[in-house]
Amino acid sequence: MEFQKEIEIHAPKEKVWNFIWDVDQFIACVPGCKEAKTLEEGKRYSATMVEKVGPFRVEFPTTIEVLEREDLTRIKAQASGADNKVGSRMKIGLDVHLREQDNKTMLSFVASVDILGKLAALGHGIIKRKADQVLDEFAQSVKKRLEGDS
Amino acid sequence: MLRRFRLEEPESVREVSELLGRFGESAKVYAGGTELLLAMKEGLVQYERLINIKRVSGLDEVKLENGAIKIGALCTHHQLELSPVLRQNLPALVKLEENVANVRVRQVGTLGGNLCFAEPHADPGTFLMAVGATLIAEKSASKREIAAERFFVDAYETCLEADEVLTGIKVPVPAPRSGVAYLKFGYLERPSVGVAVALTLNGGGKSVGDIKIAVGCAGPAPKRVEEAEALLKGKSTDEATQNLPKAGSVAGAAAQAISDLHGSQEYKEHIVGVLLKRAFQSALSQC
Amino acid sequence: MLAGLEDWGKFMSKAMSRHQDAQTIPVSFTLNGRLQEIDVEPHELLLDVVRERLGLTGVKRSCDVEVCGACTLLVDGRPVSACTTLAFEVRGRSVLTIEGLATNGKLHPLQDAFIEYGGFQCGFCTPGMILAAKALLDENPNPTEEELKHFMHGNICRCTGYKKIIESIMAAAKKMRGAS
Repeated sequence: MEFQKEIEIHAPKEKVWNFIWDVDQFIACVPGCKEAKTLEEGKRYSATMVEKVGPFRVEFPTTIEVLEREDLTRIKAQASGADNKVGSRMKIGLDVHLREQDNKTMLSFVASVDILGKLAALGHGIIKRKADQVLDEFAQSVKKRLEGDS
Repeated sequence: MLRRFRLEEPESVREVSELLGRFGESAKVYAGGTELLLAMKEGLVQYERLINIKRVSGLDEVKLENGAIKIGALCTHHQLELSPVLRQNLPALVKLEENVANVRVRQVGTLGGNLCFAEPHADPGTFLMAVGATLIAEKSASKREIAAERFFVDAYETCLEADEVLTGIKVPVPAPRSGVAYLKFGYLERPSVGVAVALTLNGGGKSVGDIKIAVGCAGPAPKRVEEAEALLKGKSTDEATQNLPKAGSVAGAAAQAISDLHGSQEYKEHIVGVLLKRAFQSALSQC
Repeated sequence: MLAGLEDWGKFMSKAMSRHQDAQTIPVSFTLNGRLQEIDVEPHELLLDVVRERLGLTGVKRSCDVEVCGACTLLVDGRPVSACTTLAFEVRGRSVLTIEGLATNGKLHPLQDAFIEYGGFQCGFCTPGMILAAKALLDENPNPTEEELKHFMHGNICRCTGYKKIIESIMAAAKKMRGAS
C-alpha cells in the first residue's frame, strides 16, 4: 500500500528539520506510538506501535533505520516490526522531503506500507483506512506542534 | 484450534453486564460465535473469558407490541426466517435473513451478534437503518434505545459501552401504503454492496412521502444517506424516478466504498446506484 | 531434555495438574442414536472432538471458516459447521454424523442415490453434502430445484459441477416421498 502526503507548515525549514530528529517530539505525533528510544543517533531508533481496529489490537515493537539523509532536504527510512501474538509483520518504507515555499515549509512524504501475516486477513481496505487515519492524525499533530509555539 | 478460555454462563442480563464490567477487554459476549470464533481461530483476538449469553432467557422472541416489532437479540437468522410476526409484518426482513451467509451460519448465528460484531460486509445493519429501527442496550442498572443509524461507529466498532449488552431490536410496524426493499450484490461469501430503501406514498399514491435510504457493505459501516433521500422525498413518483441516477451517485459517494477484493471503489459506487434504482422501484411497487 | 524416569514423572504431574486446573464441562448427548457422556474443555471444537476423541472421521476439516460445508454435522436435525462449533454446545442434544445415517447396514436413500446417480467423485465433500441434503429433505420433502440450491448453497464441491448432486438429492427425495 502506498500513501502520499504533503503538509504545509508555517515554520522555517530548519525548525521542521530539527523537529524530525527530536525523537520524543516526533514520536509524540505518531498515534499509537510509544516508548521511543534512540539506538544510534541519526541512524537507528526503536518504538512500539499500538493500533486498534475495533476489537483487533496489534502491538508492533518496531525498529526504524535511517537509510539516506540529505540535511534539511531529505530522509529515507525503513521501519519494521512483528507482533507474534497475532502472527503479523509490518514493513514501512518512508521517503521524506522538505521544501521551502514562500515563508512556509512543505513537508512531503511517500510511505509504502506492507502488512504481512494474519492481520492481512482483516482486509486490505480496512488496513488502508486505518493507515490513512494514522497518517492524517500524524500530519495534523506535526503541523500543530511546529506552528503552535512560533 | 482455539486457545484456552474460561466459560461463564450467567443467567441474567445484569450478570452479563457485571461480568463485562469486571473483566473488561479480557472477556467477550458469546452467542452463536459465527464471527467471534473465526476471529479467535485466526488468532486476531484473544479472550480469557467467553460469556455465554444463551443461558439468559427471554432474548430470543419476536413479538408485536404497541405498534412495534420487538426482536430479541438472540434470535437466530433461521428463527427470523420462520417468524410468523415477521412474515406478516416485515417480509423484507425475512427475505434478508433467508439470504444471510449459508444455512449453517443461519442456524446458530444471531441477529444481535451480527450487529454487535459490526463486520462491514453484513446485511442487517443497513436494513435496520432504513426502517427506522432502534437497538436496545442494557447495563446492570440502566437501559437505553439507540437509533440504528447511530449504532455503527466504524468497521467492527459499535457505540455500545464496554459493559452494555444488546438485548433487542425494535422496528416500527410499517405504515399502510409503504414499501421496503433490501438488495445486495456479492459473489464472495460475504456481500459486497447492500442498499435498503423504505418509503411511503402520499397524495393518492402520486408522490413519495417519507423515504429512508441506507447503504452498507461497501464501506467500513452502513450509513443512512439523507442527501440522497432529499432528492426523492416529496417528489412525484415520476420526478423521483428521474432523480434516481443522481441519488444513486450521491449514495455511492456516501458509502465510503473501500477498494478491496470485493471490488474497486468506483465499481462499488456504481453498484450502489444500480441497487438504489432497483430497490426504489421494488419498494414503490409494494405500496 | 528429560534425563530419566524421575524427570518424566515430574513433567507428567505438572502437565496433569495444569490440566486439572482447567475448566471442564460435562457433555451428555446422543451421537448417532447412542448416549455419550464426555468432559470437554470450553475451547474444544466439535469437529476435533468428533474426529479425534470419538474417532468418527467422516466429518472433514476443509476451509475451517464455515464456508465450504465439508464439516457439516446435524445437531437436533439441523446443519452446523463443526469447525466453528464449541463442543460443549451439543450438551442435551442429538448429533448425527455420516456414520450414523445407515441403519443396520442398510444405506439411507440419500446414500443410495448418491451412488446410483454419481453424486460424488473424490468424496471429500460428500459426508457434509449428504447430511445437509438430509436436513433439507426433513424440512422440505418436495423441494423445487431452486429451493434445493438455496439450501445447499453453503456446501461446496470441487469435482462434480453439482449437476449429479442435484439429481441424486432429487431422486432420493422422490424415493423417500414414495416410501412414506
